[in-house]
Amino acid sequence: MFTTKAFIKKSKIGHFLKNVREHYIRDDIFCGVPSCETCHPVESHLSSTYKNVCCLFKYNHYLILDTNVILDQMDVLDEPILENIIILHTVLKEVKHRSLPIYKRLQSIIDNPSRHFYVFTNDHHKDTYVKQDDKELINDYNDRLIRKSCSWYMKHLPGEIFVLLSNDAKNRAIALAEGIPTLTIKDYIESVKDNSVLLDKLAKKDIHVETYTKDIFPPHLSNVELLTGVKNGKLHQGTFRASKDNFLEGFVNVDSLEDPVLVQGRSGLNRAVNGDIVVVEIFDKKEWVSPSDIVLEDEGVAEEGIDEIELKERELKRSKKIKEEIKPTGKVVGIIRRKWRQYCGILQGGMDGVYQLFVPSDRSIPKIRIETRQADFLRTQKLIVTIDSWPRHSRYPHGHFVRALGKIGDQTTENEVVLLEHDVPHSQFSEEVLACLPKLPWIITEKDVKKRVDIRHLDICSVDPPGCTDIDDALHCRPIGNDGFEVGVHIADVAHFIRPGTAIDKEAASRATTVYLVNKRIDMVPELLSSNLCSLRGGEERFAFSCVWEMDANANILNTRFHKSIIKSKASFTYEEAQMTIDDKSKNDPIAMSLRGLNKLAKILKKRRLENGALVLASPEVKIHMDSETMEPLDVEVKKLFETNSMVEEFMLLANISVAEKILDEFPECAMLRRHPTPPSTNFDPLIKAGRHLGLDINVECGKNLAQSLDEATKPENPYLNTMLRILATRCMLQAVYFASGTLQKEEYYHYGLAVPLYTHFTSPIRRYADIIVHRLLAVTCGADSTYPDLLDKQKSTELCQNLNYRNRMAQYAGRASVAFNTHLFFKGKLQDEEGYVLHIRKNALQILIPKYGLECTLYLAKKGESSNIFEYNEEEQSQKAGNITLHAFDPVKVRLSLDSNNIQHEKFVLQLVSPYIEGFSVQPLGESMEVDPDKPASEKKRKSKSESHVKNKKKN
Amino acid sequence: MSKNKELISKIGLRLDGRRANELRRIRCKLGVFTEPDGSAYIEQGLTKVLAAVYGPHEVRGGRSKAQHNSAIINCQFSMAVFSTTERKKRPRGDRKSTELSMHLQQALEAAIKSELYPFCQIDVYVEVLHADGGIYPACVNAATLALIDAGIPLKEYVCACTASLANNDIPMLDISHQEEVLGGPTLTVAALPMSGKIVLMEMSQRFHLDHLDKVLEKALQGCKDIKEILDNAVRLHVTDIGSSTGWANTKH
Amino acid sequence: MALCDAEKTFVLHGVQDNFRIDGRELDDYRPMELETDVVSHAFGSARLRLANTDVLVAVKIELDVPFPESPQNGKIEFFVDCSANATPEFEGRGGEDLAIAISNTLTTAYSSSLAFDSRKLCLLNGKKCWKLYVDILILECGGNLFDAVSIAVKAALWNTRIPFVKNVNIDGNNIDLDVSDDLCLCERLDIENAPVMVTVCKIGDKCIVDPNAAEEHCSMGSVVVAVSGTKISTIYQTGTGSLHPATLTESLQLGFRVAIRLNEALSKVLSRIRPDEEAGFLK
Repeated sequence: MFTTKAFIKKSKIGHFLKNVREHYIRDDIFCGVPSCETCHPVESHLSSTYKNVCCLFKYNHYLILDTNVILDQMDVLDEPILENIIILHTVLKEVKHRSLPIYKRLQSIIDNPSRHFYVFTNDHHKDTYVKQDDKELINDYNDRLIRKSCSWYMKHLPGEIFVLLSNDAKNRAIALAEGIPTLTIKDYIESVKDNSVLLDKLAKKDIHVETYTKDIFPPHLSNVELLTGVKNGKLHQGTFRASKDNFLEGFVNVDSLEDPVLVQGRSGLNRAVNGDIVVVEIFDKKEWVSPSDIVLEDEGVAEEGIDEIELKERELKRSKKIKEEIKPTGKVVGIIRRKWRQYCGILQGGMDGVYQLFVPSDRSIPKIRIETRQADFLRTQKLIVTIDSWPRHSRYPHGHFVRALGKIGDQTTENEVVLLEHDVPHSQFSEEVLACLPKLPWIITEKDVKKRVDIRHLDICSVDPPGCTDIDDALHCRPIGNDGFEVGVHIADVAHFIRPGTAIDKEAASRATTVYLVNKRIDMVPELLSSNLCSLRGGEERFAFSCVWEMDANANILNTRFHKSIIKSKASFTYEEAQMTIDDKSKNDPIAMSLRGLNKLAKILKKRRLENGALVLASPEVKIHMDSETMEPLDVEVKKLFETNSMVEEFMLLANISVAEKILDEFPECAMLRRHPTPPSTNFDPLIKAGRHLGLDINVECGKNLAQSLDEATKPENPYLNTMLRILATRCMLQAVYFASGTLQKEEYYHYGLAVPLYTHFTSPIRRYADIIVHRLLAVTCGADSTYPDLLDKQKSTELCQNLNYRNRMAQYAGRASVAFNTHLFFKGKLQDEEGYVLHIRKNALQILIPKYGLECTLYLAKKGESSNIFEYNEEEQSQKAGNITLHAFDPVKVRLSLDSNNIQHEKFVLQLVSPYIEGFSVQPLGESMEVDPDKPASEKKRKSKSESHVKNKKKN
Repeated sequence: MSKNKELISKIGLRLDGRRANELRRIRCKLGVFTEPDGSAYIEQGLTKVLAAVYGPHEVRGGRSKAQHNSAIINCQFSMAVFSTTERKKRPRGDRKSTELSMHLQQALEAAIKSELYPFCQIDVYVEVLHADGGIYPACVNAATLALIDAGIPLKEYVCACTASLANNDIPMLDISHQEEVLGGPTLTVAALPMSGKIVLMEMSQRFHLDHLDKVLEKALQGCKDIKEILDNAVRLHVTDIGSSTGWANTKH
Repeated sequence: MALCDAEKTFVLHGVQDNFRIDGRELDDYRPMELETDVVSHAFGSARLRLANTDVLVAVKIELDVPFPESPQNGKIEFFVDCSANATPEFEGRGGEDLAIAISNTLTTAYSSSLAFDSRKLCLLNGKKCWKLYVDILILECGGNLFDAVSIAVKAALWNTRIPFVKNVNIDGNNIDLDVSDDLCLCERLDIENAPVMVTVCKIGDKCIVDPNAAEEHCSMGSVVVAVSGTKISTIYQTGTGSLHPATLTESLQLGFRVAIRLNEALSKVLSRIRPDEEAGFLK
C-alpha cells in the first residue's frame, strides 16, 4: 500500500516549499510479543517471563509510552526497573525530532536486550496506520496513532494486557473512553514496589503551587522581547560564567563587547546558571561597579527564606569600593538557551524530609533542590543530579536525582567523578562496537601475508614504561652497506582492525584518546585490540605499519620508505632493562647491537634537533605507587628518566616528521597534522621578569634563542633553578593542536616546541585516534588502502580535529585531576616537612613548588584580602621581606605540608613555612613527618616509622 | 560525528517504509496521447515522466544530417519548471538536461534496431512532471514504453534503475530524492536486462571499489524487476487495444 | 498540420452551414475533462483535456518583495512551456513564441484588480508578499490553446492553498516569517472573477468558438476575449488576417456570451470536485 505525506518546509534561502514524501504501508511488520502465534517471530527483546512490578495490575503487562513520558522522564526509563516496553515508531520519531540527546539515550536502552524494549513500526503497519485528517493538528494525529496502536495490540493479543502511559490528560481521557488502560507515569511509578529510586528520578516539571509563593526573582522577558532587544542593540547576548568564589556574582561574555559584563546579586544573576546563553541589560555608566574580592559561600538551607541572601547581598554591596576597577555592569533579563547538564556532587548535610539540597562539586553551579526518600543513604554517596526547572519563587533550581556513583571518597567513585566532570566517554563498549572485533583465535592468513612486507626475521624490539600493555611501537636497527644503517620504526597497525565508518571507528573517533588515570585506563579501543592484537608484544606475530630509513653513520636520512608489514618483536623491554642491555658490555647479541646502534643515532639526532632550536621543557610528572590490593596510593614520586626514554622519543619524532612530510605531499588539503603555535610575546612576560630578577637575560625572540638562553640559565648554587625556569617556560606555551592542512597557511603548520616545520602523530594509534587517521592517509600514499569520502573532506576533517583537540585537553585535565586526588589521598592525615622552591611571589602569598611530589601550592602570608604585617611586598623586585630575610622567586624553602579536609569536595593543601625561620610566622621543624593526632603525640613516631617501612616494602614489589 | 543519517533503520526499513531491495511503486500506461506516434506515462514512486515518440520520419533540417545506414535517434529531455520542490528557472537547455538528453540517447541507441530505418529520424521527447529521485531511470523506462507504443523494433527492453549504499554497508535499490540528499553515492545503471548487458552506468560521489560489485548487482536486479513490470503493462495494453479491435478477444 | 485546398474548402463550407467537421454548431464546445491536485508538491494544480488539447498547470508560491509602485499588492507570474511532446516543432526553443503570446495575454488579463485581487497576497505593506508562479505546461495541441489554458489556470488557482502565516517578526530590515507547516491550515484564493478566455475564430464570414486544429488552420484571424465576471478584461487578436469592426463587435459579443456560459459551467464543476479522487495520466 502506498500513501503520501505532505508538509511545508522552509528552505535554506528562506523559501517555503511544499514537500511530498512517499510512505509505504506494509503487511510484514510484526508485533514482537513472544506469545503471539499469528505474527512471524522477529528479533524482539520483549520477554514473556518478565515479572511485572506495578501493583495496580495483577497480571504481567506491556507498557506503551507516549512521547511526553520519554521526553520528560528519561531518567526514570534509564532505571532498569521498568521493562517490557513497546516503543512506537511514531513516538521514536517525535523524540528524535524534539531532542537528539534523549533520542540517543533511548536508543541505547532499546539496544540493550536485558531491558526488553521493542520498537513497533506502527506507522508502516497496515492496521495501525491512519491517515491524517484535514484540520487535524500534528500532535492530535500522533496521539491518535498511538491510541490506534494500543487498541490494535489489545485486539491482536487479547490474552495480554497493554498499558498506555501518558502525561497528556486529553490523550488519557480519549484513550480511557476507547477502553485502553491508561495511567500517568507518576501514578504508575507510585504503585511500583520499591519505588524510592524511581520516585526520586521523576522529573519535577509540574511543580505544585506551594504555600510560600512570594516571587524571589524578577521575571524573564519573553523570547520575542529578548530577540528584538538584542537586535536593536538595547540588550546583549552572551555566555554566563558564574564566579567560583562568590555565588552572587558572575560575568557575561558578550561577543560584541571587549569586557565581560559584570552581574551581581540575586536579581542581577536572575537564575542564570554557569554556561547558559543569556541576555543582559547593561546599566548606565554611573551604576557600574567593580567585581568584589570577597568570598561568599551559599550556606543556605532549602526551607529558609531569602533573608539570608538579602543579608549577603548587603555584604556584597558594602564590599565594592575600588573605583578604578569598575567594569560594565548589568543584569540578566532572560535566558536564550540553558546549558544544563548533569552535575556531580553530594547532598548537603543537616536536612530532614524529602527535600534536600544538592551541592555540585563544580563551584560555579548553584545548589540544587531535589526530592528524595532515601536521603540517609544518598548522604554517603557521590550523586549525579540534573536540573529540571528554576521557577521564580524558588531560591534554588529544582532538579532530580539521576544516579549514585558510589561512596564519597572511594577510588572508583572519584574516578567516575573525574571522568564525568571532564566529559570523558567511559561507558562499556557497546555490543555493536564489540561485534566489529575480529574473532579469536586470530590467525594471519596467506592473503594477509601477500599484502604485507614480511619482516618477521628482523631483530625488532620494543621499549616502553614498565607495566605497559598497549605497545604501539617497536624498533630495529641493522648495519647496511659500508657504514650505513637501516633503522625501522614499526607502529601497530590499528587501522587494519578499525575500518572507516564502522561502529568501532565511530566510537574511537568520539573517544579520541585513551585516558590514563592513576589506577585506571579508559581505552579508546576495546582491550582485545589495545592489549592484544594490536600490541606489539615480544614473540608474537603482529601487523605493523613500518617507517624504514636508510641512514649514514651521522644519522642523515638517505632514503625513507613506508610499508605495511608483519613483524615479530623479539623482546619487549622496559626503559630500565633496555638501558641495562645497552650498558652491559658483555651482551653482544643482535638485539643489544641493535639497541646500541639506535642509541648512538638517537644521540646524534637529539643533538642536531636541539641545535635547531627545539625546546627542552619541563613539567613535573609524578608517578604514584599504588597498593595493589587496597588500591591506595603508597608513595608519590617524580618519574625517572633513562637515556632510552630519549632514544625511543627521538625515533618517534623522526617517524612523525617523515610521515607528516609524506602525507602533506600527497594530501595538501586534508592531511591531519599537528601544530604548536608560536606563543605571543606577551606570554613570556612572567618568564622574562623572573629571569631579570635573577640577573639572567632570557631571549624569547624565537624558539632557538629561547632554547639557548634556557640552556645558559644556570646557577651553581641552585641546581634546580634551570628546571624551574623550564617549568615557567612551559607555562608560557600554547596548546599544540591537530588541524587539517587545507585550513591553514603553510607558515602556520610550524611546531614551535620541536622547532620543525611539519609534524603529525603517527606513532601511537592504539591510544590516539589522530594516529589512526594518519595511518589511513599514509596507507593510501603507499597503495595499501583506499580512501573514503570523509577522509578527504576538509570540513569533516576539521570537525574531527576539533573533537580530538577537545578530548585530548579533557583527557589531560582528567589525568591531572586524578593525580591530584591520589596525592590528596596519600597525604590524608599526614604532616610532612618538604623541600620546596618559590615559584612566584604574590602580594599576599608565595607559590611553592615541591619537586618531590610535583606539587604546586600556595603559602598564604596573610589572609585573603588583607596584607601581612610581617612581610613587606616589593612589587618591583618581586620579593617578600620579613625582618632581615628576603624571599625571592626560585629561593629554596622548607615547608610543612598538610591537607585541609574541611570541605570534602574541595580538599586542599595547607602549607606552613619551616625554613627560613621567620619569627611569628614559621613553625618549628618536625624532624620527621608525623600524623595529625594532637591527642597522642607520644605514639606518632612509632606509627610513622611503621608506615614508612610499609611503603618501602611495597615499592620493592 | 558523521552527519549521514541512517538510511535504513535497525528494523531494516527505509525512511519511506521500504526494505533495501524493494523498488518504489511503479505504475505506467501506454498511449496516453493521440498526437505522437507513441507515448507513455510512468510513475516510479512520486517521480512522474511522460514520453512521446515521433517517427520514424524524414530527417528534419536538411538531408545532410541523415545517415545512410541507420536512423538518427533524437532525444530531448526536459523538466517542467514545477517538477522540483524548489521551482526551476528553465525547463531545459541547462547543462544537466543536455547531459541527460545525451545519456538517454546513448541508452536508446543500444536498444533500437535503427539499422532498419536508414535516412530516417526518430524523435523521443521526455517530460518530467515530478522529480523525486531517479529521474533518468524513469525517463529511460518511459521512453522504452513509448517506443513500444510507437511500434519501433527494439532488440529488447532497455530499463534503468538506481542503487546506493546505505549505512556504508547495505546496498539498496531505487533511491528516492530524500535518500539522494541524505545519503552518499548513487549508481545509475541502464541495462538490457534480458541479455544482462549494461548500456550506461553513471555514479555520483564515490564509494569504495569493494562495494561496487554488490551495488551494481543490486541495480541490475532492479532493472530486471522493472522489465517484468513494463512487460506486464505492455501485454495488458496490447490486449486492451486488441480486444477493442476484436482480434485478441480469444483470451477473454 | 497540412491541409489541401479541398479540405480547407470542406471545413469552410461546413462552418458556413453551421455544421462543423466534427458535427458541432458554431458556438459549441468540445467535451472537456478537468482534474485538480494533479501535481502533489505544488500548492495548487489542474489538468485540462479539451479533446486533444492537454494542459497541465501548477502553482508554486515564493516569498518576495512587492513592486515599489504597488506596495500593497502581491505578485503573480505566468510561465508557459510548450513541451516537445505536443509536436516536434516545439523542440528546443520552437514553442517560445507561442508560449510568450499566451503568457502575455494571461498577464494582461490578470493585471486588473477586478479580475484578480493581488492585495490578498501582500503580507507586509511594501516589504513582504507572496509571489504566485503559475506554470503552464502544454502537453498536446489539439487547437484552442488559449481557452484551455485560461480554464486550467483558473482551476489551478481555485485549487491553490496559500501557506498560513502564524507570526511575523519585524526587526529593522529583517523580517522573519513563521509559517505553519501544517497544510490543513492553508488559505484559499478568491478566484470568483478570474478571467476565462474564449477564442473566437473567423472562418469565411462566420465566427466560431473552440476551433480544432483543422479549423484553426483555415481561420483568417481570431480574437481572444478574456472575460472576468461580467466584464471583458482583455482582447487579443491573433493570426495574420484583418477583421472588420463590425465582425469584431460580433465576435466580442459571441465570445462574451460563451465565456459567461463557460465560467458558469466551470464553477459548477469545481464545486463538485472531490479531493480524494484518483487523477492523472493513468486513467
